[in-house]
Amino acid sequence: MEIQIISFGKISEFIAHQKLEISDISNTDELKAYLETSFPLLSNMKYKLSLNKDIVQENTAISNQDTVGIMPPFSGG
Amino acid sequence: MERKVKNIFINGRIEPTFIADSISKHSAKTTIGGHSIFMGQVRKDEIEGKLVAAIEYTAYQELALEKMHQIREDIFQKYPLHCMHVYHSLGTIKAGEICLFVFTSSTRRKPAIDACAEIVERLKAELPIWGKEIFEDDTHQWKENS
Repeated sequence: MEIQIISFGKISEFIAHQKLEISDISNTDELKAYLETSFPLLSNMKYKLSLNKDIVQENTAISNQDTVGIMPPFSGG
Repeated sequence: MERKVKNIFINGRIEPTFIADSISKHSAKTTIGGHSIFMGQVRKDEIEGKLVAAIEYTAYQELALEKMHQIREDIFQKYPLHCMHVYHSLGTIKAGEICLFVFTSSTRRKPAIDACAEIVERLKAELPIWGKEIFEDDTHQWKENS
């Protein structure tokens, strides 16, 4: 399946917005492991994923054409 | 049920005249007895000998507005407020300029004060907004909320 990756803050400096073709990944935990292998800088950072319009709180199934956001700790205000 | 998600984002700094106008608009609401206002201002921090010239704010806007809508609903349920206004800047805001404006009003002072403080805390912790501190020599680092 194909998913859309979007990234923010510090993470946007080394992971560009991109479409990702994934075959053996069906949930957010598996995606995290995949991302940390593909982008080693990510494995040393605190970050959260969003899936479509929700922040991922626990392992969640991913579907074709989903949008996954990779977000470092927030620093608004 | 009607569900209206308000936009909180303003491109660029929040003008003091915008804040003044917002205050004066409330003079017609005569059941209000107390307002509380919080304004966030970009601080010229010194980090390892370099001075912060500005903060560039970006956000995951769709998600941030959805989250702010939930916070707004929680706050209205918890406190007897007449109104609540929240504005946050996007883009480059120079040191000394206002980047956040939270304004709550109630019949008596306490709900306005407590709600205002709670909104600021929740907004900093829960909204996907990022600040990039830009130093005077054009290098940068990403801000982290404490």
